[in-house]
Formats: sequence, C-alpha cells, structure tokens
Amino acid sequence: MTGPGLCPVSFISFLKRGIEMQKTTVVVIGGGATGVGILRDLCMRGVDAILLEQQDLAYGTSSRYHGLLHSGGRYAVKDAEAGKECIEENTILRRIGRHCVEQTEGFFARTHLDDEAFEGKWVEACAKVGIPTIPISVEEALRLEPNLSPKIKSVYRVPDAAIDGFRMVWQNVASARKYGGRVLTYTTVIGIEHSNNQVVGIKVRNTLTGEVSNIACDFIISAAGSWAGEIAALAGISVNVQPDRGTLIAFNHRITSRIVNRLRPASDGDIFVPHGSITILGTTSASVNKPDDTVPNAKEVVELLNIGEALFEDIRSYRMLRAFAGTRPLYSADPNATGRGASRGFVTLDHAHDGLKGFVSVVGGKFTTYRLMAEKVTDLVCGYLNVKTPCRTAEENLVEDTSPALMAKARLYFPAYGAELAASRLGSEGLEKVIARIQEKPEKRQLLCECENVTMAEVEEAAADSTSYMISDVRRKTRMGMGTCQGAFCTFRSVGAVDANGLSWGKDTNVLFKEFLQGRWKGIRPILWGNVMREMELTRGIYEGTLNINGAIDNEGI
Amino acid sequence: MREYDIVVIGGGLAGLMAAAAATKRGKKVTVLSLGSGTLTIGGGIVDVMGYLEGGIPAATPSAGLLQVGDKHPYKMIGRPAIEESIRFFKEICEQEGYSYIGNLDKMQWIPTAAGTLKPTCLVPKTMDTTELKKADKVIVLGFDALKDFYPSLIAKNFKKIPAFAQKEYEVVMIDPKLSEGRDVTALDVARWLDTEDGLASCIEKMRNVVPSGSVVIIPPVLGTRPNYLVKEKLEQALGCTFVETASVPPSITGLRLRTMLVRYLKKNGVRIVEQAIVAKSIVEENNCMAVITEGVDRERTYYAKSFILANGGFYGGGLLAEPGKVIEPIFNLPVEAPTDHELWANYSLFSSEAQPFAKLGLDVDEKMRPVDADGKVILNNVFVAGRNLRGYDFSFEKSGNGVAIASGYQAAMSV
Repeated sequence: MTGPGLCPVSFISFLKRGIEMQKTTVVVIGGGATGVGILRDLCMRGVDAILLEQQDLAYGTSSRYHGLLHSGGRYAVKDAEAGKECIEENTILRRIGRHCVEQTEGFFARTHLDDEAFEGKWVEACAKVGIPTIPISVEEALRLEPNLSPKIKSVYRVPDAAIDGFRMVWQNVASARKYGGRVLTYTTVIGIEHSNNQVVGIKVRNTLTGEVSNIACDFIISAAGSWAGEIAALAGISVNVQPDRGTLIAFNHRITSRIVNRLRPASDGDIFVPHGSITILGTTSASVNKPDDTVPNAKEVVELLNIGEALFEDIRSYRMLRAFAGTRPLYSADPNATGRGASRGFVTLDHAHDGLKGFVSVVGGKFTTYRLMAEKVTDLVCGYLNVKTPCRTAEENLVEDTSPALMAKARLYFPAYGAELAASRLGSEGLEKVIARIQEKPEKRQLLCECENVTMAEVEEAAADSTSYMISDVRRKTRMGMGTCQGAFCTFRSVGAVDANGLSWGKDTNVLFKEFLQGRWKGIRPILWGNVMREMELTRGIYEGTLNINGAIDNEGI
Repeated sequence: MREYDIVVIGGGLAGLMAAAAATKRGKKVTVLSLGSGTLTIGGGIVDVMGYLEGGIPAATPSAGLLQVGDKHPYKMIGRPAIEESIRFFKEICEQEGYSYIGNLDKMQWIPTAAGTLKPTCLVPKTMDTTELKKADKVIVLGFDALKDFYPSLIAKNFKKIPAFAQKEYEVVMIDPKLSEGRDVTALDVARWLDTEDGLASCIEKMRNVVPSGSVVIIPPVLGTRPNYLVKEKLEQALGCTFVETASVPPSITGLRLRTMLVRYLKKNGVRIVEQAIVAKSIVEENNCMAVITEGVDRERTYYAKSFILANGGFYGGGLLAEPGKVIEPIFNLPVEAPTDHELWANYSLFSSEAQPFAKLGLDVDEKMRPVDADGKVILNNVFVAGRNLRGYDFSFEKSGNGVAIASGYQAAMSV
C-alpha cells in the first residue's frame, strides 16, 4: 500500500511518548474531499498542517455518494454559478486526477414522464455557463447504451465523468504528504482551545485508545461537512448545517458505460453512474437529525427502483450489491451571520466575525468543487498567515503515472486484469512494495478477494499501513469485500492474514470478524431479497453456523 | 409413462435422507437434484440443537429439543421420529464404513477454523476431540499456500477459551507444493492426500515437524472419500492423533457425506437425476400428479404417487424472496412473511436473537404436509423437508443438518 496518510509521527507512538505536545500551524478537521483538498493546498504553499479525521479517511459523505464528477448540467437551470464552477473544476480534475477519474462522458435523457418544456430551458442554461451539450438521436443513444429504455424521448451528451471518492481522497493525501502534510485518523475533536479570542490549540481524543491530547496551532479550519455544526459548537459558535440523508444502490453490473442523468429538474433517483464493473443509482433525500444517520432502509431502495425504472426498464433484474447512504451537509445561513464567502455553491465562515480569531468553517458545496473550495479557504487563511505563495493545486497532478517498466513487472505477478487495477489502487510506491512481497512468497499472489481481484500480498501491505486499525480500513484501501459476495469468503481470509502477520490491531479477531461483517450487513439488510438473500444465507451459514463467530468463546461442556 | 412411488425434489441432506428412508420402506424412488444443497458448504457435521433463543447454549442436543418454539420443525416431527432418524443416519454411516460419533445426550464442542468452538451432535471420526481434550500440548498444522486456513488464528484464540487456555500450542507449516501459480483450497490438499504419492510425501514432510504422540489440529483435508484410510495411515505412520476443524467452503466433510449417501442410495436402487430444475407441477384436487423439469433440451414430466419437497430455502431456491413477500415456486404454497420488509431482519447481524428472515418458510402438519393459515392440508401427497420449513434459524441455533435428517426421515415415513 502506498500509505498515503501514513503519519510521520504515528499517533500511537506519539501517545506513548507521554504528554509531549504536537505543534503545527494549521489543523484541518475532516478527512473528506474538502479537508484533504485543503491539506494539500496548504502543504503545497509551504504551510505546516495536520488533518484530523474522526473515522477513516473518506469514511463520511465523500465515499457515500454516487461518484459523479458533475459537468454542471444538473445545476445549470437552478443555480448557474454552481453549474459554472462544476464545469471548470470538472475540466481541472480530469487533468490532475487521471488515476481516480474515469472519463465516461454522460447523457441527459428525457423520459416519457418528463416535462418537455424543461428541455429547452436546460439547453439554454447550459450554454450560458459554458457546458457543452450535444443532442443525439434516441436511436444513436440506444446503440451506445442498449440497456436504456426505448421509451426515452431525447438525449444530450455532456462531459460528465465518474470519480472514485476513496481514491481521490487517498491521492490528495499522498500528494499532501510529499509536502510534509500529516494525517491522524480515528481522532475526534473534543475541544477548541483559545486565549484572548485567538485559537491556540485543539484538544483531541483517539477513538480507538480513548487517549486525550492537545495539538498547539494558530489556525483551525473545519471542513467537517455534516459535522461542521458540532465542531463549531465546541467553540460556542452556531453553524447551521442540516444533515440530509441520501440513499443509493450499488448494482453488480456496468448497466451503462456512460453516466445517465434524467433530464428534468433535479430530483430523487435520477442519476446512474458506472464505476468499473458496477453502477450506482442515486439518490433519495430525507432530512435527518444526526450527521451519522447513514442507515439505509428497504423503503428507500424500493422507491429508487421504482423511479430508476423510467431510465432502465430491466432495473429489477440486475443484481444489487448493497445500499448505502451519506448525509449531505446542507447549509442555511443565519440571517444575522456575517463573514459569508463569495460563492453560492459553498460558504466560508470566518469566525473572527463571531469573536474567535483563527477559526474558519467551510460548509455546503459539493464533491466536484472540492478543490475550488479548498483554494478559497486556503487563500483566506494564507492571507492571515501572510503567506504569499499562490495556489498550484490545479496545475500539479495528484499522483504520478506508474512507469511502463513497473507495469511490465506487475504483469508477471498479477492476473492480467488485476495488474491494471492494482496499479491504479496502489500507485507506484505501493505497487513496488506489493510486488516485493510476492517475490518473497510467491503464494501471496493468490487472490484473497476473488470478486475484486485483490491479492493476499496487497491486503497484507494495506493491513500493515499505520492508518489501518480494522478490516474495514483495509477494505477502503483495497476494495476487498466490496464485490458480489460482500465478504462471504474474504472476511475469514483477511482476519487470518492480519493475525498471521502479527499486527498489533489484530489482537481480538472476534471483534475484527464482527466489525467487518456488520459493516457489510448494514448495506445488505435493506436489499435482502433475490440473490442477495441467497448470498446472505451462505454468509451466515459460514460465519454463524460453521465458525460460530456469534457464540464466540464458549467453554460449555468441554 | 413411468410412475414412481416417490419423487424427491432436492439432492441435499434432507432429500437424500428422505430417499434413504423411503427405500428402506421398499419404495421406488427418484431424486431430482440440482447441486448438493448446503452439504459442500456447512458440511458433514450434524448439528441438532446448539443454542436456544436468547443465545443460551443447550446443555445437550436432547435438552435443546425440549425447548424449541411451537412453530419449530422439531415440534412437528416429534421426539420419537427425531431419535429414530438419528439412529437411522448412524446406521447408514456404519454400514458404509464411515461411521459417525456422538449422540443426542451429549453436546460435542468442536474446534473451528476461526479458533472458536461450536456445539454439535454428530461428527465423523476425523473430528473426534477426545484426545485433544486430554492433551497438554497441541500442534496446529497448516499448509503453505492454503488460503483458507490460518493455524495461528486457532492457536491464539484457543488460549482465550477457559477449557483450552492451559494447553500449550505450537504452529507448524508444511509445504504441499501445490501452488504453481494457482489458488489452493482444502479440496486440493485433500485430493493430494487421496493419492499414494501425496500421502507418502505428506508423511515425510510431517515427520520433521510433528513428534510422535502429538495431537494435531488440521484443516479438513484427510481425503475426499467417505472412509478413514487417510486418517488411519497418517496416524499409524506418525504415531499422532489428527483432528479436523469445522471450516469454510468447499467443505470436504460434506463432500464425503454426500458421496457416501449417493453410493448408499444407488446400491438401493434409487435413481438420481442430476441438473434437474423442477419448474412446475401438475396438481389435481389437492393431489400432485407430476412435476416438470426444465432443461437445455426439453421439458420432462415425472409422475409419482407422492412427492417430497426438499429443494432448500433461499439458498437452494426452494423459497424466493421479494420485497415484503416469499414465493414457493413449484406449488405456489403460501408463506407467511411480514409485508414491511424492515421487519425481516435484525439491525445487528450477530446478536442473541435469531434472524426473522431465516425462520420464514412453509407451515406443515405432523406428517410434513403443507398446510394453510388455518392448518388445513393443501396437498395430500406432498411432504416437505429441510430448509424450506418454517420456524428455525439453522445458523443461529446450530440445527441445520439435524432438521434436514429428521424432517427428511419423517417425510419419507409419512408417505
């Protein structure tokens, strides 16, 4: 594993050294797209920074959405400025993020149920903000995407793309690390320290060890998304973020090779996004009380299928993998608040206006414009810090390409299709390390996860990374357990591998089993019918029936 | 038109046991089989009743049987038939030279590949834990390249089990040299030990790491055939005792059991049709006349006096789940299920409660005939056995193969 996010000073060893305090200039809160974008930008401008994430990187909304790099078409009519930002950032990300963006292009398709009058308005609005829309015939659209409903009325091509949220976050961190950036995962903020109305530090707790410590800093940037209200509240400041749960379905088919948007005013269930061998359908919308209310339910899934049927008639015959949900951080300004940023898409709140200097929250916005948000916030903070270095995040690629020589070497050890996947997941450095493991022990080339083509060596490398504390962390880095069987076979192997490697976090294997399988269950439970039900009977048969993970340590009778 | 006495739909443990019991009664039987049910998954271990509601372990399988709920298949089958079925199963095993150990009055706690113990009733001799319990030192032996077995996991977790904590564990590995660029499963190792050369080579490799007198925990690899030759030869050559663990698929112990039962049935004149997809039935006035299979070539119709429906649950395809409803595809028998899909499953995958969806299935009378909500028999000559029955969660209870054997037997006896 590349170990993007590897902290130069590992948090555990830091704690062991006692009460010695870490120091930095800026603390960034939130390991999602915005947070890592800010970390990268600060570090590239030479500002020392630490990023704190309460869970694992990309655990929150940045991985709990459809993975659409918007062309802006979805926003053009209702919010022209957001549409313009999208097309500009879309163009930049295709360039700098080649290893996390799949240039699929997109369709906007109007179905027989959608208002014809909207079509003209939409074309006009897109033209106004510079989003190219190319009309094609329904016949041509059906030739390109044969699964589309033949009942569709009109189709336009737009420069949408698919983006892997996990990878994008990891690659930003990898880039930031090259410039000295540090990341602490499983670290939650419990206090904002200030003196004379100026931030002087932050108090954190390691959620795995429970240990509390302080980090001295001059500036805090909250990019906590749906959690931004909770962070601001620690300083007695009100930031009105309303978490809004969106549920999505992952299908085990590339139903479409292009992104397909429904050509109508943005609503539920009208986006299909292909990612590798799967397709994601989103999204629902429901106001929730807590930012971590990400438990999808069967009703939402059935609704999505009902709506999705208008674009893809056979939707019910496709095998679902799981449902998942994230919370959108919807911001509504307090009419009395001051210090609002310029853009309507997102808002930068300088809490100096609330009486606390050195504290900024960035709220609202979308994944597609994360880099721009980061640039704006970093500009503001650099102004305070008197740093004049300009932003270069739009010019420099997130990660370098893997050399042809290394790829040739990889093909000797990986299955043909697996080599490309592994290279794109791992980056050059990580790929090199995994190859070294296989050279040392050739049997490590065996697939630990057959569904996603992940070798034993890759899982062992990811597990050994200092930011791995549970099997789900390894999953996010490797994609193991994210395919058809949803952990039925790879859970046992990954727990066994972690244990066999003597990793410190592998002490209680029963906890590892339960954590991972429960995580998979969360997404399976709301789609428990058809072949998903079959698979679940198998999974329970193995882990509950045969391995008795549930009964755990019983000594009855023996 | 050939007419059989009994057509059994399903070639898993329930169907094979039903066929065995029917031939014993002198019936002419055909089994329509599509795969081997869960035999190659859960395997050849016969769980009867391990855990009660609330996750409380039953003291003995027998004690567990007394405490099952009203809708449980065991309640319908009744104690005498359960005991007879277990006796009958053990008789077959004995007769075929692959005897099982255990009885209803003793819970056997056997080691699993996750380093836990699981409660069960009957196991093949390769899983006998008598010597393991006595040993002060235990060797856990793994095979290089076998990706489904991690000996250190077992050694470490056994240290946490009170009754096993005092023992000393040593992990040893041997290299079967089977990898050669492909993935290795327990089946590969078992096939290797099936051969004379493989066995001899294995003994040589083991001799270096396993001292005489050792008790050795190994994955289930002691041959694919339903006999104890591999175990006996290894133990004789090395002076050791080998204990197989319960493990992940492919299940070698299940494969042995299936091979043995199929052999027994064929000897007794049972016809087994493989790859038979039963698609529909012909029913006249509460009686099934025939079932029809679909194949690549053509439809085939199987007429019989009676039918045993043992085609599994959701996994086997005997039950199909849709949002808020369950369909039984051959006879369209009613399955009571919550229309609100949220009620099908617990929020926690593992808890002290059974999963509601796992208990969904067909209602039957004491003869295993399908009944409607009022308890009225729907089909007079159809008898249900196995996972398509309502009221038990085989994973949670550890009761899967026990229900299969008892209900298969009862169905055949009721014909």
